[in-house]
Amino acid sequence: MSISWIKNGRKFAYGTFGILLFGTIWFFATNGTNLGKILPDPITVLKKFFVSFAEPIGTKTMTLHILTSLRRMLLPYLTACVTGIVLGMVIGWYKPLEAIIKPYIELIRPIPPIAWIPLSIAWFGFAEMSKYFLIFLACFPTITINTYSGVRSVDETIVRAARMLGAKDRQLFATVVMPSTVPYIFAGLQVAIGSSWATIVAAEMIRSSEGVGWLIISGQETSNMSQVLVGIVAIALTGLLLVSFMRLLETKLCAWNERGA
Amino acid sequence: MQDNSSVKVKVTNLTKSFGSLLVLDNLNFEVKNGEFLCIVGPTGCGKTTFLNTLTKLYEPTKGEILVNGVPVDPKKQNISYIFQEYSAFPWLTVKENVMWGLKIKDVSGKEATENTMEMLDIVGLTKFQDYYPNQISVSMLQRVVIARAFATKPELLLMDEPYGQLDIDLRFRLEDELLKLWEKTKTTVLFITHNIEEAVYLGQNIMVLTNKPTSVKTVIKNPLPLPRDAMAQEFVELREEVTELIKWW
Amino acid sequence: MAEQRTLIVCDHVSKEFQTPEGVFKVIEDLNIKVKENEFLVLFGPGQCGKTTILNTFAGFEIPTSGEITVNGKKVTRPGSERGMVFQTTALFPWFKVMGNVEYGPKVRGESKAKRRERAQHYIDLVGLQGFENSYPIKLSGGMKQRVGIARAYCNEPLLLLMDEPFGHLDAQTRYLMQEELMRIWQQEKRTIIFVTNNIEEAVYLADRILVLSNCPTGVKAEYEINLPHPRQYTDPEFLRLRREINDVIDHTL
Repeated sequence: MSISWIKNGRKFAYGTFGILLFGTIWFFATNGTNLGKILPDPITVLKKFFVSFAEPIGTKTMTLHILTSLRRMLLPYLTACVTGIVLGMVIGWYKPLEAIIKPYIELIRPIPPIAWIPLSIAWFGFAEMSKYFLIFLACFPTITINTYSGVRSVDETIVRAARMLGAKDRQLFATVVMPSTVPYIFAGLQVAIGSSWATIVAAEMIRSSEGVGWLIISGQETSNMSQVLVGIVAIALTGLLLVSFMRLLETKLCAWNERGA
Repeated sequence: MQDNSSVKVKVTNLTKSFGSLLVLDNLNFEVKNGEFLCIVGPTGCGKTTFLNTLTKLYEPTKGEILVNGVPVDPKKQNISYIFQEYSAFPWLTVKENVMWGLKIKDVSGKEATENTMEMLDIVGLTKFQDYYPNQISVSMLQRVVIARAFATKPELLLMDEPYGQLDIDLRFRLEDELLKLWEKTKTTVLFITHNIEEAVYLGQNIMVLTNKPTSVKTVIKNPLPLPRDAMAQEFVELREEVTELIKWW
Repeated sequence: MAEQRTLIVCDHVSKEFQTPEGVFKVIEDLNIKVKENEFLVLFGPGQCGKTTILNTFAGFEIPTSGEITVNGKKVTRPGSERGMVFQTTALFPWFKVMGNVEYGPKVRGESKAKRRERAQHYIDLVGLQGFENSYPIKLSGGMKQRVGIARAYCNEPLLLLMDEPFGHLDAQTRYLMQEELMRIWQQEKRTIIFVTNNIEEAVYLADRILVLSNCPTGVKAEYEINLPHPRQYTDPEFLRLRREINDVIDHTL
């Protein structure tokens, strides 16, 4: 028992050391140097970041910026979860549908969300809907394909075992196929939350007036580098929280699986 | 030259703990030159940890391991290993695989080739010397691994469950080949297994380990002459005797 | 003692597979009769068709010709009156031990209280009391197979098929499980067809051994084992049988 504590403690110490080292290098590279004229030092950035929770940047405080962006991400993300899981199961189970539908999903998958901006604006204008569309496209294919893989990877011997015990088709699906697919779905959800959060900047390029992506964009437009960096810090920290939350969920849902155990 | 009464491996007070977990507890034993010693223990006893201290992967917490009178040093001494996961290198031919060990030890080209061909002949793979591992059967692959280990004419050969899950027929045939190679090269062999039948089939002496914290329960001399018959009455009785010592169920 | 009735009949069963190289005949005219509560061992070395035979009894494969009847009913598909224990255990990793063992009665609609009680009985029988709430991933190989046995037993099938169930276990656990299986079977008799490639295991467990030939597989020899339980590996008669069977089988290359 004591060994794992030592290992984790060591890992944490190394991680913290790494961040401090990075911060120190950044500080000395920018404090009173030529680089410091275009890139603000870490202390200024951090100060500005914490202050923005009380004093608004633009029209909103940092809390509201983060919450707005989260709202913009979560709505399409959750929609993609539901539709992706359902579609993934369907094409995994029915071969003819797989043949028809899967190629389209594979086609969409590698297209970077930014490339969709013109089409999105054309179809949905500058309303929130076009942002939702972008983020939906960022995560929908991943979730679908991961679910599909899960359905295809169900262990044949376990299916046989269930049949020998008298399971009928519907019971087989509910008690064998579904649970077997959960780790795969979860892997898809985890990757998708990362990619949809990363797309928030692209989404908020479509005319916004708040949000963490907007912080970066408006900062760039006004040559306010420290604002840009504050935006980046906000995105990074929120992203970290999201991923950690997903990991926690996984340990609860997949306690029986090697990864989750 | 080979002096059967001299001691090859001497283990004294070998103790290994990980933090507060005591795995090896005061192991003491000797292995004579040219001896074939089988080490058995209940499933989950510290056999792998013991092996890792022999290969210097772990440093003992206490005690020492002497090979030829000096502390064991795989880099300086001629020690060969065959582990369960050991496989022939897929990118080398049969002949190159067998020669690999010799190359690592900087053995000269002529001597290396001679040793290699001799080994290939003993395991019956001369015809297949230019084949790649994916072109030959599992049984032939295992023989390549054995030949590779013996090609360097090691002073000490350590084997850890090399025949794991193989078919029974195949296992006995490989064991026969191993014994043949051992008799020819007079290498000292330490063979670790939890398969009691295998231990009785191969070993001149059978060392029985206890459950964790692991120590030496006893060493049994194997009175049965080679070649041994796994279905003979005396064999099965000896096997049962060892099983009783290990029985954790 | 009353004559045991014949429960399973395998009548002139043959099985062929279509392959790119042509027709591959795995089973050739197999005739087997199994009595109720008999422990029958199908022994065959290597890759002969013993798994296919078992799959035909299970209903995963349909014979090309001939038929198998269990208790008078023809076997055409998997069904709960035949239970199976797999070499890889095939436990449901997302259910705990209790969830695995009670699975059969659950899908057949038995009430929670009744099936829990039944499952508990079998969990106790295989010696896993206390582990009801463990996930399979936390169990050792031998323990997992005990769950597999309990799960198959719990559905109270007429016939238990066991496909080299101890094949993936280490040598020591294998001895242990052979003893355990005998103990379990003595306590609750069932008709068992047990497949193995280990002669000693066969002689230890079987009432009757059918030695199978290599493909196309048929019955090469039959042995009745009348030794009393528990059997001794060192018994001269045990060893004699081992030798006799060893001389009869087709050895693999």
